[in-house]
Amino acid sequence: MVLLGKIALGMFGTVVAGVGLICSEGFIEVNVVTKQPDQHHVVVIAPAMLVPIAAHFIPPDKLDHGARELKQYMPTVRAALEGLDDADDVTLVEVTEPGQHVVVKKEGGSVIVNVVDRDETVYVSTPIRAIESTVEQVANASDHAHDQDGGDYQ
Amino acid sequence: MRKTASILAVMILTGATAASSIPTFGAGNTERYLHVRVQDSKEGESVAVNLPLSIAEKVLPTVNKGKLQGGVVHIDNAEMNDIDIKALLEAIRTSPDNEFVTVKQKDQDVRVAKSNGNIIIHVVQRDKDAQKVDVTVPMKVVDALFSTAKNDEVDVAAALRALSDAGDSLLVTVESATEHVKIWVDSNGNPAQ
Repeated sequence: MVLLGKIALGMFGTVVAGVGLICSEGFIEVNVVTKQPDQHHVVVIAPAMLVPIAAHFIPPDKLDHGARELKQYMPTVRAALEGLDDADDVTLVEVTEPGQHVVVKKEGGSVIVNVVDRDETVYVSTPIRAIESTVEQVANASDHAHDQDGGDYQ
Repeated sequence: MRKTASILAVMILTGATAASSIPTFGAGNTERYLHVRVQDSKEGESVAVNLPLSIAEKVLPTVNKGKLQGGVVHIDNAEMNDIDIKALLEAIRTSPDNEFVTVKQKDQDVRVAKSNGNIIIHVVQRDKDAQKVDVTVPMKVVDALFSTAKNDEVDVAAALRALSDAGDSLLVTVESATEHVKIWVDSNGNPAQ
Protein backbone atom coordinates (compact mmCIF):
# COMPACT_ATOMS: atom_id res chain seq x y z
CA MET A 1 0.00 0.00 0.00
CA VAL A 2 2.85 2.33 0.90
CA LEU A 3 4.62 1.36 -2.33
CA LEU A 4 1.47 2.09 -4.36
CA GLY A 5 1.21 5.44 -2.62
CA LYS A 6 4.82 6.27 -3.52
CA ILE A 7 4.25 5.27 -7.16
CA ALA A 8 1.09 7.39 -7.31
CA LEU A 9 2.93 10.29 -5.72
CA GLY A 10 5.80 9.88 -8.19
CA MET A 11 3.39 9.76 -11.14
CA PHE A 12 1.52 12.81 -9.86
CA GLY A 13 4.80 14.66 -9.43
CA THR A 14 5.87 13.73 -12.95
CA VAL A 15 2.54 14.86 -14.42
CA VAL A 16 2.68 18.16 -12.49
CA ALA A 17 6.29 18.68 -13.57
CA GLY A 18 5.39 17.85 -17.19
CA VAL A 19 2.41 20.20 -17.22
CA GLY A 20 4.52 22.87 -15.51
CA LEU A 21 7.24 22.45 -18.11
CA ILE A 22 4.82 22.61 -21.05
CA CYS A 23 3.19 25.71 -19.59
CA SER A 24 6.50 27.29 -18.54
CA GLU A 25 6.56 29.62 -21.56
CA GLY A 26 2.96 30.68 -21.07
CA PHE A 27 0.13 30.38 -23.56
CA ILE A 28 -0.52 31.59 -27.05
CA GLU A 29 -4.01 32.98 -27.40
CA VAL A 30 -5.71 33.64 -30.70
CA ASN A 31 -9.21 35.06 -30.69
CA VAL A 32 -10.95 35.91 -33.96
CA VAL A 33 -14.49 37.24 -34.21
CA THR A 34 -15.98 37.96 -37.62
CA LYS A 35 -18.77 40.51 -37.83
CA GLN A 36 -20.54 39.30 -40.95
CA PRO A 37 -24.10 38.05 -40.61
CA ASP A 38 -22.84 34.49 -40.21
CA GLN A 39 -20.68 35.39 -37.25
CA HIS A 40 -17.73 33.14 -36.47
CA HIS A 41 -15.82 33.05 -33.25
CA VAL A 42 -12.53 31.17 -33.13
CA VAL A 43 -10.56 30.88 -29.91
CA VAL A 44 -7.30 28.96 -29.69
CA ILE A 45 -5.33 28.77 -26.47
CA ALA A 46 -2.24 26.59 -26.66
CA PRO A 47 0.92 26.18 -24.57
CA ALA A 48 3.53 28.40 -26.19
CA MET A 49 6.22 25.76 -25.76
CA LEU A 50 4.50 23.64 -28.40
CA VAL A 51 5.39 26.16 -31.12
CA PRO A 52 9.21 25.75 -31.02
CA ILE A 53 8.67 22.01 -30.60
CA ALA A 54 6.45 22.01 -33.71
CA ALA A 55 9.02 24.14 -35.55
CA HIS A 56 11.58 21.46 -34.77
CA PHE A 57 9.62 18.96 -36.88
CA ILE A 58 9.48 21.15 -40.00
CA PRO A 59 11.92 19.65 -42.54
CA PRO A 60 15.06 21.84 -42.48
CA ASP A 61 15.09 22.15 -46.28
CA LYS A 62 11.65 23.83 -46.16
CA LEU A 63 13.01 26.51 -43.86
CA ASP A 64 16.47 26.73 -45.34
CA HIS A 65 16.15 29.96 -47.38
CA GLY A 66 14.19 31.84 -44.73
CA ALA A 67 16.46 30.50 -42.01
CA ARG A 68 19.59 31.72 -43.78
CA GLU A 69 18.00 35.15 -44.29
CA LEU A 70 16.95 35.24 -40.65
CA LYS A 71 20.29 34.08 -39.28
CA GLN A 72 22.11 37.28 -40.26
CA TYR A 73 19.59 39.33 -38.28
CA MET A 74 19.61 37.10 -35.22
CA PRO A 75 21.80 39.38 -33.04
CA THR A 76 19.31 42.19 -33.69
CA VAL A 77 16.29 39.94 -33.13
CA ARG A 78 17.81 38.60 -29.89
CA ALA A 79 18.59 42.11 -28.63
CA ALA A 80 15.10 43.35 -29.52
CA LEU A 81 13.34 40.44 -27.82
CA GLU A 82 15.61 40.64 -24.78
CA GLY A 83 14.97 44.38 -24.53
CA LEU A 84 11.24 43.83 -24.92
CA ASP A 85 11.24 41.14 -22.25
CA ASP A 86 13.05 43.44 -19.82
CA ALA A 87 10.91 46.49 -20.62
CA ASP A 88 7.87 47.60 -18.64
CA ASP A 89 4.41 47.07 -20.08
CA VAL A 90 3.91 49.51 -22.93
CA THR A 91 1.70 50.17 -25.94
CA LEU A 92 4.31 50.05 -28.68
CA VAL A 93 2.19 51.05 -31.66
CA GLU A 94 -1.37 52.28 -31.98
CA VAL A 95 -2.90 53.12 -35.33
CA THR A 96 -6.40 54.53 -35.64
CA GLU A 97 -8.06 55.21 -38.93
CA PRO A 98 -11.70 55.26 -39.99
CA GLY A 99 -13.03 51.75 -39.47
CA GLN A 100 -9.80 50.30 -38.13
CA HIS A 101 -7.88 50.27 -34.89
CA VAL A 102 -4.59 48.41 -34.48
CA VAL A 103 -2.71 48.06 -31.20
CA VAL A 104 0.61 46.31 -30.63
CA LYS A 105 1.61 46.21 -27.00
CA LYS A 106 3.80 44.43 -24.51
CA GLU A 107 1.90 43.16 -21.52
CA GLY A 108 3.45 40.95 -18.86
CA GLY A 109 5.74 38.62 -20.76
CA SER A 110 3.71 38.69 -23.97
CA VAL A 111 3.35 40.66 -27.16
CA ILE A 112 -0.28 41.40 -27.92
CA VAL A 113 -1.63 42.37 -31.32
CA ASN A 114 -5.23 43.55 -31.43
CA VAL A 115 -6.88 44.52 -34.70
CA VAL A 116 -10.45 45.77 -34.79
CA ASP A 117 -11.96 46.63 -38.15
CA ARG A 118 -15.39 46.66 -39.75
CA ASP A 119 -15.27 42.97 -40.64
CA GLU A 120 -13.52 41.30 -37.77
CA THR A 121 -11.70 41.52 -34.50
CA VAL A 122 -8.39 39.69 -34.15
CA TYR A 123 -6.54 39.30 -30.88
CA VAL A 124 -3.21 37.46 -30.70
CA SER A 125 -1.15 37.13 -27.55
CA THR A 126 2.25 35.44 -27.78
CA PRO A 127 4.78 35.03 -24.96
CA ILE A 128 8.09 36.70 -25.80
CA ARG A 129 10.04 33.65 -24.64
CA ALA A 130 8.10 31.51 -27.11
CA ILE A 131 8.89 33.96 -29.92
CA GLU A 132 12.57 33.77 -28.94
CA SER A 133 12.62 29.96 -28.88
CA THR A 134 10.76 29.68 -32.18
CA VAL A 135 12.93 32.21 -33.98
CA GLU A 136 16.08 30.47 -32.66
CA GLN A 137 14.66 27.14 -33.85
CA VAL A 138 13.95 28.51 -37.33
CA ALA A 139 17.35 30.24 -37.56
CA ASN A 140 19.10 27.03 -36.55
CA ALA A 141 17.32 25.18 -39.34
CA SER A 142 19.93 26.51 -41.79
CA ASP A 143 22.65 24.73 -39.78
CA HIS A 144 20.69 21.46 -39.86
CA ALA A 145 20.10 21.77 -43.63
CA HIS A 146 23.79 22.52 -44.02
CA ASP A 147 24.71 19.40 -42.00
CA GLN A 148 22.35 17.24 -44.03
CA ASP A 149 23.80 18.56 -47.30
CA GLY A 150 27.26 17.73 -46.05
CA GLY A 151 28.10 21.42 -45.94
CA ASP A 152 28.15 21.81 -49.74
CA TYR A 153 26.12 24.93 -50.30
CA GLN A 154 27.54 28.41 -50.25
CA MET B 1 10.26 10.35 7.48
CA ARG B 2 10.75 9.11 3.94
CA LYS B 3 7.10 9.92 3.16
CA THR B 4 7.64 13.47 4.36
CA ALA B 5 10.75 13.74 2.20
CA SER B 6 8.81 12.50 -0.84
CA ILE B 7 6.02 15.03 -0.27
CA LEU B 8 8.64 17.77 0.20
CA ALA B 9 10.36 16.74 -3.04
CA VAL B 10 7.08 16.90 -5.00
CA MET B 11 6.24 20.29 -3.46
CA ILE B 12 9.67 21.67 -4.38
CA LEU B 13 9.30 20.31 -7.93
CA THR B 14 5.81 21.81 -8.25
CA GLY B 15 6.97 25.12 -6.84
CA ALA B 16 9.94 25.24 -9.19
CA THR B 17 7.85 24.54 -12.30
CA ALA B 18 5.18 27.01 -11.22
CA ALA B 19 7.82 29.67 -10.60
CA SER B 20 9.26 29.11 -14.06
CA SER B 21 5.84 29.86 -15.59
CA ILE B 22 5.46 33.20 -13.82
CA PRO B 23 6.04 35.95 -16.39
CA THR B 24 8.90 38.29 -15.67
CA PHE B 25 7.94 41.92 -15.34
CA GLY B 26 10.10 44.97 -16.02
CA ALA B 27 12.65 45.48 -13.31
CA GLY B 28 12.62 49.21 -12.83
CA ASN B 29 10.34 52.16 -13.38
CA THR B 30 13.07 54.43 -14.70
CA GLU B 31 12.45 53.40 -18.29
CA ARG B 32 12.43 56.24 -20.78
CA TYR B 33 10.42 56.31 -23.96
CA LEU B 34 10.68 57.93 -27.34
CA HIS B 35 7.16 58.89 -28.35
CA VAL B 36 5.98 59.68 -31.85
CA ARG B 37 2.47 60.99 -32.55
CA VAL B 38 1.14 61.67 -36.01
CA GLN B 39 -2.38 62.97 -36.41
CA ASP B 40 -3.99 63.62 -39.74
CA SER B 41 -7.32 65.33 -39.17
CA LYS B 42 -8.12 65.34 -42.90
CA GLU B 43 -7.94 61.55 -43.20
CA GLY B 44 -9.04 60.93 -39.61
CA GLU B 45 -5.89 58.91 -38.96
CA SER B 46 -3.56 58.82 -36.03
CA VAL B 47 -0.40 56.87 -35.30
CA ALA B 48 1.20 56.54 -31.90
CA VAL B 49 4.57 54.89 -31.32
CA ASN B 50 6.07 54.49 -27.84
CA LEU B 51 9.55 53.00 -28.02
CA PRO B 52 11.41 52.15 -24.81
CA LEU B 53 14.86 53.72 -25.29
CA SER B 54 16.46 50.73 -23.57
CA ILE B 55 15.33 48.53 -26.48
CA ALA B 56 16.70 50.96 -29.04
CA GLU B 57 19.99 51.13 -27.09
CA LYS B 58 20.28 47.33 -27.16
CA VAL B 59 19.22 46.89 -30.78
CA LEU B 60 21.15 49.68 -32.47
CA PRO B 61 24.69 48.33 -31.80
CA THR B 62 23.67 44.97 -33.29
CA VAL B 63 22.69 46.43 -36.66
CA ASN B 64 25.41 46.15 -39.27
CA LYS B 65 23.85 47.21 -42.52
CA GLY B 66 25.20 49.67 -45.05
CA LYS B 67 26.61 52.78 -43.41
CA LEU B 68 25.21 51.87 -39.99
CA GLN B 69 27.73 49.64 -38.27
CA GLY B 70 27.55 48.91 -34.55
CA GLY B 71 25.54 52.01 -33.74
CA VAL B 72 27.83 54.28 -35.72
CA VAL B 73 26.90 55.84 -39.07
CA HIS B 74 29.70 56.44 -41.53
CA ILE B 75 29.35 59.68 -43.48
CA ASP B 76 31.18 60.11 -46.73
CA ASN B 77 33.57 63.01 -46.79
CA ALA B 78 31.68 64.45 -49.73
CA GLU B 79 28.55 64.71 -47.59
CA MET B 80 30.49 66.58 -44.90
CA ASN B 81 31.78 69.02 -47.56
CA ASP B 82 35.07 69.16 -45.66
CA ILE B 83 33.41 70.94 -42.76
CA ASP B 84 35.05 70.30 -39.41
CA ILE B 85 31.84 69.43 -37.59
CA LYS B 86 33.59 68.90 -34.25
CA ALA B 87 35.21 72.33 -34.33
CA LEU B 88 31.90 73.87 -35.36
CA LEU B 89 30.07 72.17 -32.50
CA GLU B 90 32.76 73.12 -30.02
CA ALA B 91 32.34 76.73 -31.09
CA ILE B 92 28.57 76.50 -30.61
CA ARG B 93 28.92 74.65 -27.30
CA THR B 94 31.24 77.21 -25.78
CA SER B 95 29.38 80.23 -27.07
CA PRO B 96 26.63 81.89 -25.00
CA ASP B 97 22.95 81.49 -25.86
CA ASN B 98 22.50 83.21 -29.15
CA GLU B 99 20.67 83.23 -32.45
CA PHE B 100 23.06 81.89 -35.08
CA VAL B 101 20.94 82.00 -38.19
CA THR B 102 17.91 84.10 -38.99
CA VAL B 103 16.46 83.98 -42.48
CA LYS B 104 13.32 85.86 -43.32
CA GLN B 105 11.79 85.34 -46.71
CA LYS B 106 8.41 86.08 -48.23
CA ASP B 107 7.15 82.53 -47.71
CA GLN B 108 9.51 81.23 -45.07
CA ASP B 109 11.27 82.10 -41.83
CA VAL B 110 14.17 80.04 -40.53
CA ARG B 111 15.80 80.50 -37.17
CA VAL B 112 18.65 78.49 -35.64
CA ALA B 113 19.60 79.31 -32.07
CA LYS B 114 21.20 78.01 -28.91
CA SER B 115 19.12 78.34 -25.79
CA ASN B 116 19.34 76.70 -22.33
CA GLY B 117 21.67 73.92 -23.51
CA ASN B 118 19.56 73.13 -26.57
CA ILE B 119 19.98 73.74 -30.26
CA ILE B 120 16.71 75.07 -31.60
CA ILE B 121 15.63 75.08 -35.22
CA HIS B 122 12.44 76.92 -36.01
CA VAL B 123 10.92 77.00 -39.50
CA VAL B 124 7.71 78.71 -40.51
CA GLN B 125 6.41 78.14 -44.01
CA ARG B 126 3.66 80.42 -45.26
CA ASP B 127 2.91 79.15 -48.77
CA LYS B 128 -0.06 76.94 -49.69
CA ASP B 129 1.49 74.06 -47.71
CA ALA B 130 1.85 76.29 -44.67
CA GLN B 131 3.44 74.58 -41.70
CA LYS B 132 5.44 75.28 -38.59
CA VAL B 133 8.38 73.08 -37.63
CA ASP B 134 10.19 73.22 -34.30
CA VAL B 135 13.20 71.03 -33.57
CA THR B 136 14.90 71.07 -30.18
CA VAL B 137 17.99 68.94 -29.67
CA PRO B 138 19.79 68.89 -26.31
CA MET B 139 23.41 69.94 -26.81
CA LYS B 140 24.51 66.81 -24.93
CA VAL B 141 22.88 64.68 -27.62
CA VAL B 142 24.66 66.58 -30.37
CA ASP B 143 27.95 66.20 -28.47
CA ALA B 144 27.40 62.45 -28.14
CA LEU B 145 26.57 62.19 -31.81
CA PHE B 146 30.02 63.47 -32.71
CA SER B 147 31.87 61.90 -29.78
CA THR B 148 33.59 59.22 -31.86
CA ALA B 149 37.28 59.49 -32.58
CA LYS B 150 36.75 59.64 -36.32
CA ASN B 151 35.59 62.77 -38.08
CA ASP B 152 33.48 61.00 -40.69
CA GLU B 153 31.29 59.11 -38.23
CA VAL B 154 28.31 59.92 -36.05
CA ASP B 155 27.65 57.78 -33.01
CA VAL B 156 23.89 57.29 -33.02
CA ALA B 157 24.05 54.80 -30.14
CA ALA B 158 25.86 57.33 -27.94
CA ALA B 159 23.33 60.00 -28.92
CA LEU B 160 20.52 57.66 -27.93
CA ARG B 161 22.16 57.08 -24.54
CA ALA B 162 22.54 60.83 -24.07
CA LEU B 163 18.89 61.31 -25.02
CA SER B 164 17.93 58.70 -22.47
CA ASP B 165 19.97 60.45 -19.77
CA ALA B 166 18.60 63.88 -20.64
CA GLY B 167 15.41 65.08 -18.98
CA ASP B 168 11.95 65.04 -20.52
CA SER B 169 12.20 66.91 -23.78
CA LEU B 170 10.04 67.84 -26.70
CA LEU B 171 12.21 67.14 -29.72
CA VAL B 172 10.11 67.83 -32.80
CA THR B 173 6.75 69.36 -33.57
CA VAL B 174 5.34 69.82 -37.02
CA GLU B 175 2.03 71.57 -37.43
CA SER B 176 0.14 72.17 -40.62
CA ALA B 177 -3.51 72.80 -41.37
CA THR B 178 -4.33 69.10 -41.26
CA GLU B 179 -1.32 67.31 -39.81
CA HIS B 180 0.28 67.33 -36.40
CA VAL B 181 3.51 65.50 -35.64
CA LYS B 182 5.09 65.40 -32.22
CA ILE B 183 8.24 63.55 -31.10
CA TRP B 184 9.30 63.66 -27.47
CA VAL B 185 11.05 61.74 -24.70
CA ASP B 186 9.70 61.11 -21.22
CA SER B 187 9.21 58.40 -18.61
CA ASN B 188 5.52 57.78 -19.26
CA GLY B 189 5.03 54.48 -21.10
CA ASN B 190 1.39 54.98 -21.96
CA PRO B 191 0.67 58.69 -22.46
CA ALA B 192 -2.80 59.77 -23.59
CA GLN B 193 -3.33 59.74 -27.35
